Amino acid sequence: MTYYISLNNLKGLLEVLKKDHSVYVPVKKGEQRFYKRYTDFTADIELGEVRPFEPLKAFFSRARERVADGFKSDIPDTKEKPFAVIGVKACDLKGFKVQDFVFKDHDFQDPFYIKAREENLIVSCDCTCAIDTCFCLSLGIKPYPEENFDINLSKVEDGFVVEVGSEKGRRLIDANPSFFKKPEDKLVTQKNEQRTRVIKEVEKNIKEYDIPHQDLYKSIIEKGYESDIWLETSKTCVECGACNTVCPTCHCFLLYDQKDDENMARLRIWDSCLIKDFAKVAGGANPRSKLWMRLRNRFEKKFDFFPKVADIYACTGCGRCISACPAKIDIREVLKRLVADARGR
Amino acid sequence: MHAGDNIYRPIKTEVLDVITETPTIKTVRLKPKEKITFEAGQFIELTIPGVGEAPFTPSSRPSEKDEMEVTVMKVGKVTEKIHELKKGDVVGLRGPFGKGYPFDTFKGKEILIVGGGCGFAPIRSLMYEFFDRSGEFKKLFFRGGCKTPKELLYKDELKEWTRRKDLDLKLTVDKGYSGWKGNVGLVTTILDKIGMDCKSGIAVVCGPPIMMKFVTLKLLELGFREEHIYLSMEKNMSCGVGKCGHCRIGTYYVCKDGPVFTYASIKNFPNIWD
Repeated sequence: MTYYISLNNLKGLLEVLKKDHSVYVPVKKGEQRFYKRYTDFTADIELGEVRPFEPLKAFFSRARERVADGFKSDIPDTKEKPFAVIGVKACDLKGFKVQDFVFKDHDFQDPFYIKAREENLIVSCDCTCAIDTCFCLSLGIKPYPEENFDINLSKVEDGFVVEVGSEKGRRLIDANPSFFKKPEDKLVTQKNEQRTRVIKEVEKNIKEYDIPHQDLYKSIIEKGYESDIWLETSKTCVECGACNTVCPTCHCFLLYDQKDDENMARLRIWDSCLIKDFAKVAGGANPRSKLWMRLRNRFEKKFDFFPKVADIYACTGCGRCISACPAKIDIREVLKRLVADARGR
Repeated sequence: MHAGDNIYRPIKTEVLDVITETPTIKTVRLKPKEKITFEAGQFIELTIPGVGEAPFTPSSRPSEKDEMEVTVMKVGKVTEKIHELKKGDVVGLRGPFGKGYPFDTFKGKEILIVGGGCGFAPIRSLMYEFFDRSGEFKKLFFRGGCKTPKELLYKDELKEWTRRKDLDLKLTVDKGYSGWKGNVGLVTTILDKIGMDCKSGIAVVCGPPIMMKFVTLKLLELGFREEHIYLSMEKNMSCGVGKCGHCRIGTYYVCKDGPVFTYASIKNFPNIWD
């Protein structure tokens, strides 16, 4: 079922959501986009364009989250309201496939993640352009959401074409019928034309950088395991972990205990596999003592481990790690070389 | 663990006793306030409140349901605090995690147990389970080694074990001194002429990675089958539930898919001994 919502009515909807959600919207600052807590509809809000700098996972397993209060059996709840995240892009939604596998669908369940998945609301948006680091199509994703959203907005003249993606999204529309109406045919055409146009922009990026498609990634890690690409690529790495932090699929964390008043608190903090002590054991042995081994580990996890255990490449083509890396390490270049080497070129 | 439980919450646990085993190793007897039972081979996470957690395989009898023991070498931040524990102190426990040894597949077989250094701790728990099930297995062979006689764990129990009819036990030390009547040399030097049928036998190995590596190579040379060699892998297990990402080997997490693996299941992964 497709609807239309005008920009004015969207403002109204955000006001409604604000009552029982912490609403976050993407805003543009200079050339970058960031999430900001929504208070009112300021001029810097940008629902189209491309993904914000922060990954969506930050709303589902937070960078620093209290996961146990001493020995108390109840689950600590430190969040006042569930999040409503507006303007989420398709590359971030693919991140859910990895995060869900780790925290929700496989073996043990993480109660914090599951609660956030149940309660948080996702209002996604089509990309209305591509920036030069975008290569989602190589990872089998289109620059517009196809799944894992509650409602999706496609920016058109004076408003948005709306698609319902879940029961939660359906209930949101049913509860606020006055904001939505049937879209005119010309707006649906506009939406489709825009999608085609953005696909072409991403295709242009892929052609320009010669980025291989995921159909060619099979066994690239096994074949390139002893390659000198790891040492070469790691030469400029400064072990900052920014690539892990901004990645929508990276999920590793450390449990950190601290004394909190009289009680002890256990925190779950995002961790980075590039940092030296990541796999080190207390006795001192470190299976990945060299930086190039840790860099290789990051690629092994994404392009060997996840396809083998969950049938998915843990990359979404969002390009965040390319923009975030102070050493200019470029995942596209690594993939390009691994694929070329594996094919014996 | 039940559905809906908080997988990160430790269970309040009382320290019942602390036993000094060697200058660097202590055994702590624990009584959790909620029931935690484990199978031989599984591990737990022990919390020092406000300091942190560390993984240990219990060293006590798995059939003993209300209390458990862990034997801990002082090597880091958490184990240093564990060594300071006194009777009556409160700690936390999470677990058990991972998979135990597949005893059903051991039935009717000859079993060789090889332990090194602090690897005696999990092996003690395993030996108790074997003794509890005595009769299910054809015969047990124990080959253990450590650096010096002073560092030998569980001396009194080892003495008792030498009297068992179902167990053939031999020990070695890397460096002997006067008074030591056993073998001197690495544990691989007491693996020849064990007197068991290696082709059909089971081997269980637990010790430092370098010892496991050379013992495995020796066992293969003796004719043990890759799928009959059980290794207890040591990695940086933290969450215990396959989420935090620290203890991966190949396509496995040691915490949830191990810590016990057959050599056959991991031999193709790179750098397993590092």
